[in-house]
Amino acid sequence: MKISNIQMLNGLRKLVSTVLMICLSLLNFNALSQGEALFKSKCATCHQTHKNGTGPKLYQVRDKWASGGAKEGSIYQWVNNWQTAAASDPYAAEVSKWSPTAMSAFPDLKKEEIDAILDWVDAQPDPAAASATAGAGGATDGSAGVMSEESEEDSVAWIWIVMGVIFIVIIMAVGGVRRQLSIATSEDPTSQEKLTYTEEFRAWAWKNKIYVGITTLVLVISLIVGFFQTLATVGVVEGYQPSQPIAFPHDAHAGINGIDCKYCHNSVTKSKSAGIPTVNVCMNCHKQINGEGKPFAGEIQKIYKAAGWDPSGAGKYTGKVSPIVWNKVHVLPDHVYFNHSQHVVVGGIDCKQCHGDMTTMKEAVKVQPIEELNKIEGNIKLTKPTLTMGWCIECHGVKEVAIGNGKNAYYDEIHRRLKKDKALYRKYLQDGKITVNELGGWECAKCHY
Amino acid sequence: MKKTFLTVFGFSAIAFTLMFTSSCTSNPDSSGYEYMPDMYRSPAIEAYVDYAEIRGKEVTALKSLLSAKTPPRNTIPFYGTDSTEVKLMMPNLRKANVSFKETHGLFGIDLSLLDEYALAINDKNAIPLTAKNSEFILKNGKELFTAMCQHCHGEKGDGNGPMVTSGAYAGVPNYANLTALSDGQIFYSIYYGKGMMGAHNSLLNKKEIWTLVHYVRQFQDANYGKFDENGMAVLTAANSDTTGLKP
Repeated sequence: MKISNIQMLNGLRKLVSTVLMICLSLLNFNALSQGEALFKSKCATCHQTHKNGTGPKLYQVRDKWASGGAKEGSIYQWVNNWQTAAASDPYAAEVSKWSPTAMSAFPDLKKEEIDAILDWVDAQPDPAAASATAGAGGATDGSAGVMSEESEEDSVAWIWIVMGVIFIVIIMAVGGVRRQLSIATSEDPTSQEKLTYTEEFRAWAWKNKIYVGITTLVLVISLIVGFFQTLATVGVVEGYQPSQPIAFPHDAHAGINGIDCKYCHNSVTKSKSAGIPTVNVCMNCHKQINGEGKPFAGEIQKIYKAAGWDPSGAGKYTGKVSPIVWNKVHVLPDHVYFNHSQHVVVGGIDCKQCHGDMTTMKEAVKVQPIEELNKIEGNIKLTKPTLTMGWCIECHGVKEVAIGNGKNAYYDEIHRRLKKDKALYRKYLQDGKITVNELGGWECAKCHY
Repeated sequence: MKKTFLTVFGFSAIAFTLMFTSSCTSNPDSSGYEYMPDMYRSPAIEAYVDYAEIRGKEVTALKSLLSAKTPPRNTIPFYGTDSTEVKLMMPNLRKANVSFKETHGLFGIDLSLLDEYALAINDKNAIPLTAKNSEFILKNGKELFTAMCQHCHGEKGDGNGPMVTSGAYAGVPNYANLTALSDGQIFYSIYYGKGMMGAHNSLLNKKEIWTLVHYVRQFQDANYGKFDENGMAVLTAANSDTTGLKP
């Protein structure tokens, strides 16, 4: 009886303790979720859990303060108003020198709330450690890919040259052997021996004049065709893909992260040139995104070097800048005038019509061949090679101009005059639209002056 | 015998052609042959052209050391002859704090020892919103916001842009929580940057920034920029005074 009593008591104790445990963990869970909400609304703008930002990382910051010799409770004072904490605690005064940016005061936060925030922060796993193990295998390096392709092309060229030399040696050897043989086997040695190589060749060519004639004709025609084909590639830059100082992946920026083209190429709506972003534009995001533990961290270091950014500690600009020299990809000859803002703002042309789909472009930028551009949905389909005059003209012949919508004074004036000249307007509208060439888009002086 | 000769001749022709074509390996950093280089390369200064190589001559002293350039110090673009427009575009009178050198890389500009961010609390939007221009300004604002801000701040201004949802970036505030900020402070933050955000004055001019200030106010007050038929601003009861909106 006694034993069963004790057993019952033990069972009750266990029950009570489990109930208590559940209650406690629920409370703890509530505190954690409260901490998360508070962190996101109050702290997350400047602080991250595992990474320094505008403010230092908050992971195990209480332990850091305690081991650093901070006074008991001064961290809570700091959150409420960092200046009072810095005045009373030398450790807090030291912390205030971490960055020149002063922390906002949060006088409303109670000690329990601050603890809830920091409990939640300490419960977060380190994302850098997780991604380092995951990312180690799948390294993709744009520049390496370009390099290997280049050297492969080089080695192929060498094989051709070596093969050519071998062929010539074989031909000469075979020719020499044949000559010696014919001399040796000839019934009349005197007549053959006196012939030089040239005379012998002439005699042979005369004997096989049909074959020699046909072969010569084929050779001459192919040489002429080859000559004109080579001429046709002069000034055609399709597929041109120069090397770049930084392996910049457009797909990560414009694709995954959804950055508008106009953010970096911001002069596209105002100027002739679309503009290469200055390094301060890169730093608008890369001040935080340092690629730590990722295969492309080295590329981001190049930005830091260019911007004079020292990422250690809170990070600071040193003022020692070293500019980046990007290579221009889309080169137009100087005798052609092309204006980006006119095409983008007035013409309403999407970037992808001429530059292709940059949201999927992993490697360095290149002049997209016309076949690639035609694959893109919404593009006007053209046939001439990209960036040639034929290509421009072709597009000017089919692209509709939105006139008389009050957006552009020049087109509004044309619309006003066309309304007066009904016959001309009707003639233009035969194909149902006003194209660029009908408004003078095929005039030489539009682009050449 | 004839056959041998033909084969020999054929082989030599092939070998010759192969050698001829294979010798045309090109430099990947060169865009190829030009008909007349003096028509292809501008002797006048053009953007992104390396002037170290003109007409086949390489001048190392002129070699390009920088491809993307910010405008020279103390220069202002030409904004036409309309005096209100020019006045709006004049250099910003509020200066960045000296600490912005280290935190935002603002070297080479005049800085202030004062906390001008706090002083900017009384600055009013330089483009007053009226019943007439409201629709136009907010439409422009939407275009600008989509191109310049949305990737971080999100389409709804809640701080959940594609940069944040992809996990690349963190710490973008929700505009709805920032109602205490004045127009001047929002302008200051866009112009010189704040916290993690960099200075955007190289990307946006003052007119565009004031337009954006109007636009982001909509995220805090759904009635912002709305006018009734009498031309009076529609006020939201809760925060009618914080928007600082006067018709």
